[in-house]
Amino acid sequence: MQFKALLIDAYRQLSAAKLFWVTVGISALVVVAFGSIGFNPEGISIGFGAYQIDSEQLYEGSPWARGLYIGIFSSFLVKIWLAWIATVLALISTCSIFPEFVHSGSIELTISKPIDRFKLFFSKYLVSLLFVVLQVAIFCFGIFLCVGLRIGEWNPMIFSAIPIVATFFSYLFAVCVLVGILTRSGITALLITGIFWMMLWSVQTSEIVLNRFVTGLQVDIERFDEGIVTATEELIKIQAKSETDFRIPTLEKRIEKFQLEIDEKQESLDKLTPWHTPVEWTLAVLPKNAQTIGLLDRWLSDSDGFDIGAIMNGDMRAFEDEDVKEFDPTTRRARGREANRRIQEDYESRSLWYVVGTSLLFEGFILGLGSWYFRRKDF
Amino acid sequence: MTVIQLQDVEKVYRGKVHALRGVSIEVMDGEIFGLLGPNGAGKSTLVKIIMTVIHATKVSGTLLGKPIGDRVTLESIGYLPEHHRFPYYLTGNQVLHHYGALCKVARKERNTRASSLLTRLGLSGWEHKKVGTYSKGMLQRLGIAQALMNNPKLLVLDEPTDGVDPVGRREIRDLLAELREEGRAVFLNSHLLSELEMVCDRVAIMVKGKVTMQGTIDSLTVDSRRYEITTQGALPNWATELADNVSGNMMTFNGDDPAKVQPVLDRLRAENATIVSVQPVRENLEDLFMRAVDHKDAPGAIR
Repeated sequence: MQFKALLIDAYRQLSAAKLFWVTVGISALVVVAFGSIGFNPEGISIGFGAYQIDSEQLYEGSPWARGLYIGIFSSFLVKIWLAWIATVLALISTCSIFPEFVHSGSIELTISKPIDRFKLFFSKYLVSLLFVVLQVAIFCFGIFLCVGLRIGEWNPMIFSAIPIVATFFSYLFAVCVLVGILTRSGITALLITGIFWMMLWSVQTSEIVLNRFVTGLQVDIERFDEGIVTATEELIKIQAKSETDFRIPTLEKRIEKFQLEIDEKQESLDKLTPWHTPVEWTLAVLPKNAQTIGLLDRWLSDSDGFDIGAIMNGDMRAFEDEDVKEFDPTTRRARGREANRRIQEDYESRSLWYVVGTSLLFEGFILGLGSWYFRRKDF
Repeated sequence: MTVIQLQDVEKVYRGKVHALRGVSIEVMDGEIFGLLGPNGAGKSTLVKIIMTVIHATKVSGTLLGKPIGDRVTLESIGYLPEHHRFPYYLTGNQVLHHYGALCKVARKERNTRASSLLTRLGLSGWEHKKVGTYSKGMLQRLGIAQALMNNPKLLVLDEPTDGVDPVGRREIRDLLAELREEGRAVFLNSHLLSELEMVCDRVAIMVKGKVTMQGTIDSLTVDSRRYEITTQGALPNWATELADNVSGNMMTFNGDDPAKVQPVLDRLRAENATIVSVQPVRENLEDLFMRAVDHKDAPGAIR
């Protein structure tokens, strides 16, 4: 009964906030814009048929059409709209919930009731997440209808965006709540949460960049190493036939060049590794919000389809010559392709426990601090 | 039955502010108990400790027979904090339902009680209006209604008449008297001494974190009772010998025994003196308060 009362109160508080309805309105517009994209036998239509783009790959019923449609949702609407714009709006709307809750004159009325302070704190926290859950649920329902009506795929996995985005938001909201009850100021809570979010973004970006460099260097070293082995084998074969073959100097030069490359790359790798490991460990204990949102890509992706996420990452090469065997694995392009493949594999192999579990542990720690303070505080 | 029994309550805030220094009070069932004292005496701290809003540094005693801090006991206590703030987006009716539900009052019961309390506190017609549109006095009345939603055995009110007009104050006094008739105990914290004097059965005066006086107003003022006899013209010479105090043409006789002044009156008449008035006098609550506070000392908590 008490939880229900807090839930109803949270709903009333949110629905009394104009920003809630503004966000719902913008969400509806985004859904309508998404729904305006359709496919026909000739290609793709935008703006409910206002514009027509003829295509040989993207047409009604093609697997790429499905990939594009789902990809727009998981890579643009979720990653940009829900994970950035709607989250900022949600933080602005909810940052004052806890400061107002613990405001003098208001908190006495609530904590003097027969409800445990821990239970009160966590109930208030959970019902405050209602803002995001409601927003995303409405949004996903609209997207679900669009996808079903446009490409005939009634995909319930679209609703997996609800827990994913709510979990993503909860990492930030936990910090907002802690600062909110410590300072009793919504603005301060919002600012500190923003700084925290930027810090997370910096750590995650550093990890991605360092990972890209380290993986690239490792691939380079491996490939040059393999190149030396191949060239040496070839050299031995040629030398066995003739000591004066014209290819011998070229191969020797090649082996020498590879060795120089290996030395150079190893030196760079040795310089980067001391930075990469601490950043990896720092990220391991912090919320991984980008990777949490990235889960949706994993769950919605279709290996046969068109991966718009890869395009967003600038990896168009992933769609080129997929089945072509590398002629020379030591070329820059071949090494780059292998590095990208490994990075992709690395991120996709990160377990749910690593991505969400460790993030929730951090969130639990922050909320533990908040609830401990709330329980001991004299109001 | 004792509804509040507190012994040696101590509260030391951070920075070594000693807000309460061994407070002991007792509130009985069916009485209105007034807590008074100057600003910073520790009254609100004591009220908040009773309501578990503040943790005492040291406390022993019971609340409705259960140890202080027992959450279940709070189901039977109504509380109106000082300077309370209701969520602006709720209507009066929603406020009562919200706080009633937090007190675990069933929905059906909440419906009945909210409606009758809004009528009883003169808020009919306002139940569906947002509390942001309420006046200060209406918010106070809504606050009292909120405190009564769980049909409490004990009502703790912190400055209930703050911002209420004289008519409203009278209504609240009448309501408190009715609640006492219903057998509920009321713990009242107020600055308005005249209000307290009119309704309280017993009072406690707190000064610098300590209870300096506690009891019924009659028992606390017994030492101040006296008879004052005023005559027209100068007093006879013997007046200074018989009276406890003489000032101008007024004689004062300490005590509340009327027999003590009869011979004086007889003698005055025998001497054809004109008696203007014979008055039994006792301290009022304000006098008592001022005596207890000893205003030469600065009020406030001890550091």
